[in-house]
Amino acid sequence: MTIHKYPRKKLLFLYSSLLAVFFLTSCQKQPNLRFGSSYTNDLSGSNVVVVDTSTVLVSTIYEDSTSTNGTGYLMVGTYQDPSLGTVTSRAFFQVAPPTSLPSLSPVNNTYDSIALLVFFKVGNPWYGDSTSLQNYKVNQVDTSYQLSPPYLTSYSSVSSLPVDPTPLGQTGPIFIYPSPGPRDSFPLTSQNSRDTVKIRLDDNLGHQLYNMVYSLSDSINNATSFQNWFHGLCLSTDGIASGGRGAVYGFKDSCVMRIYYRTAGVFAQQYIDFPITQRSLAFNSIRTNYAGTPLVNIRKPTGYYGQAPPATSSKVTGNAGYIQSITGLNVRLSFPTIKAIALRPDYIGLLRATLTVRPVPDSWSTTWRLAPQLGIYTTDQNNLIGTPIPATGVSGAQTGAMVVDYFNPQTVAYTYDVTAFVKAIITNNATNADSLGLILSAPAPANVADFRRVVVADQSYQVNQRTILSVYYISLFPHN
Amino acid sequence: MQPSLIKRSFLLYLLTAMSLGAMAQGNFSPYSQMGIGDLEDGFYNRTTGLANTGIAYRSNRFLINNNPASFSDLANQYFTMETSLRGSFISYAGSPVDIGATQSADITFRRLAMGIKVSKHWGSSIGLVPFSTQNYEFNVPYAIQGSGTEIANHFYSGHGSVNKAYWANSYEFFHHVSIGAEAGYIFGQLNQKDIIQAGNGATQVSTTNDINLQNLYMTYGMQIYGNAGKHWSWGIGGTFSNKADLLASYNKLVLGADSSTLQNNELQQRYLSLPNSFGVGLQLTHNQHFTWLADYRYQNWNQVQAKNVYPGQDYSIASSERGSFGFEISKKKTLYNTKVELSYFQSGVYYGNSYLQINGEQIKDMGITAGFGINSLKTPLAYAITFNYGIKGTTKNNLVRENYFNVNFLINYGSIWFTKGKKFE
Repeated sequence: MTIHKYPRKKLLFLYSSLLAVFFLTSCQKQPNLRFGSSYTNDLSGSNVVVVDTSTVLVSTIYEDSTSTNGTGYLMVGTYQDPSLGTVTSRAFFQVAPPTSLPSLSPVNNTYDSIALLVFFKVGNPWYGDSTSLQNYKVNQVDTSYQLSPPYLTSYSSVSSLPVDPTPLGQTGPIFIYPSPGPRDSFPLTSQNSRDTVKIRLDDNLGHQLYNMVYSLSDSINNATSFQNWFHGLCLSTDGIASGGRGAVYGFKDSCVMRIYYRTAGVFAQQYIDFPITQRSLAFNSIRTNYAGTPLVNIRKPTGYYGQAPPATSSKVTGNAGYIQSITGLNVRLSFPTIKAIALRPDYIGLLRATLTVRPVPDSWSTTWRLAPQLGIYTTDQNNLIGTPIPATGVSGAQTGAMVVDYFNPQTVAYTYDVTAFVKAIITNNATNADSLGLILSAPAPANVADFRRVVVADQSYQVNQRTILSVYYISLFPHN
Repeated sequence: MQPSLIKRSFLLYLLTAMSLGAMAQGNFSPYSQMGIGDLEDGFYNRTTGLANTGIAYRSNRFLINNNPASFSDLANQYFTMETSLRGSFISYAGSPVDIGATQSADITFRRLAMGIKVSKHWGSSIGLVPFSTQNYEFNVPYAIQGSGTEIANHFYSGHGSVNKAYWANSYEFFHHVSIGAEAGYIFGQLNQKDIIQAGNGATQVSTTNDINLQNLYMTYGMQIYGNAGKHWSWGIGGTFSNKADLLASYNKLVLGADSSTLQNNELQQRYLSLPNSFGVGLQLTHNQHFTWLADYRYQNWNQVQAKNVYPGQDYSIASSERGSFGFEISKKKTLYNTKVELSYFQSGVYYGNSYLQINGEQIKDMGITAGFGINSLKTPLAYAITFNYGIKGTTKNNLVRENYFNVNFLINYGSIWFTKGKKFE
């Protein structure tokens, strides 16, 4: 019987070929073909369209007061801003008697002097022309300095207390260099006392306090008694030095009133400290004068309780909105024509929306610096700050991601993802939907402790300088 | 080898083949985005090694679905089953091809068919074969409308297939004429996905356009054959497919970046017409050993192109044609007074114009084939492997040329059916 062997060889050949094909095809990748774009009907699929011509109405909201108490800083100074006028800030605070009293001897101890020491640390807020001379003066508060609910429950930027017109002390013209030099780690003052501003006070007060310490007076031993006698202090400046533009500096609320004395036989000077106390009652009293600026036309509340802060259109404030939250200025943005986007025949859904807020060209400089961050919040017809608007898929508040570039100022802008906000209003036909808008305001704590501001360009500016809302939507034309 | 074991083995081969088809990623075909995709030219049967020349071909074992009239030649009481795999290697050339990635390969399941000799003169076959395929991807960067500077990207991809399930019957008259008819059911889906990507590649929106096609498609065939003297036999064959209107159902689905449905519409139904087509073939065999074949096929797309609305734009449809020649050497042996084929060798050549005309060029397809098959004597299985090298398209006018090399595997199972000891004579 003949055994045919050749079919086995041929079968082996077949199987080997099959295995070879399996192996080779598994190793291959797909080619990259740039072919086909010319033959695709563009209308067969959806597209993304951006509309950045929606009307953005800019207006300035004026709040008559801000909570400048307990901010952690004593904001002192005066400056003249070409956009916002003259701004003056004074700090009111209280000092407490020493926590422990030294035993003074008329034989061994002698009074030397008394001074108020305030500290300007790295990172403390400041604003204006740092080359302007400052003349700090201290006045004593002349009246009871305490809350009296329900009428007076807190102090604010519009609060003020009467002071003795005769200053307890003054520094004379000094400079403060707010940014440390290359070899330093702290700001410097022209007093050559590192980051400390020392204001020599009236020796009559010094002697009086020294004697009270020596005699262990009740007023020194009891804080309430001390406050009833020594109500508090007001730190301010003497206006703007001639030729300067002025500045406001924020000192730490850890200042101290210090009595210096000497002890016979002891070389080092000794002192008795009266530290700041009741920091929540320390407040900054701020006054603004918009004369000579477009803000002179701003609408202010008429004063009745519960009134919504009024909005002033940018058309009457120099085609700009103003943000300086510490002085009560925030910007409101409204979008009256945004719903028209959703009525387009090809609109099938919102993809995303971006708000680009641009400062007015030449409104900012190394002196008149921009606010580093601006928060974005919802608002309605009441013009109050509502909930912050988060970016899509990101937790936390948005602050604009602004990067200062003095060499390319046209690129400076605050940008926000406002997809959630636009999605809520673009197809919203509720009664109050048209009154919904956005508020731009400095985020806490800068809203009560920072004078840096933004002058927001409205849509009268050319395209690359104005505030723009860019709405990206998914476009699909109807097909039969 | 026991018959049950053979059957189990065959089923295993089938399952493996089908799963391979599911696993493989098909090769890109740049022209498949036009018309109704890449129309399938091949039959993936015994004639594949003959450049798919077989309108006049008849076989007592293999299913020659080139012509529905061929099934009447199956051996009496015969049951046969065939499946086919194809491995394809393609090298792309032309200005649109990135020189860093010019090749691709795939292996796909191509055909499953069964046939039986119902009675002495009546053969029947059912099967599932590919009708057209669609597989492409490309990127189209564009400036977002309204922006002018912001660039996004359209990522287009198309993956679809249209298949034909058929039932063919053939009846022989007077030992010289066979007439057949094939009722085919065309079904499948062509879809194009358009994904808009942001500059960082994130998906923003996707649009999927689906076209579902279905309808009957009839093909008629006839073969006339006879002997010329002691050593020669001849055959003439013809096929005709009637114009058919495929019902095209369109659906558009738009999904947002979070996969939410923005729109899901069934659009107006249309008809995509398949044209009249015909084929003629010749066959000449000497001593049952050497066989020469020739075919010509024509599809009259000009007749329907003005009426159809095809996806895409800037291309046209034209009538297609294909001519091919094949030569076969069959090695036979006489066993128990019966001539049994042991193995065969095939070769072929083909040339054709496809139905697509792009940038003034009608896409051509030409190539050569070679095949080898063995019929096992110990098992009911027969195996064949064919090789096909071809060139499709051109590099002129910014088009793409595909140099392809296909390896086709055919497995045939044949057995006597329901004999109960009796046989038809």
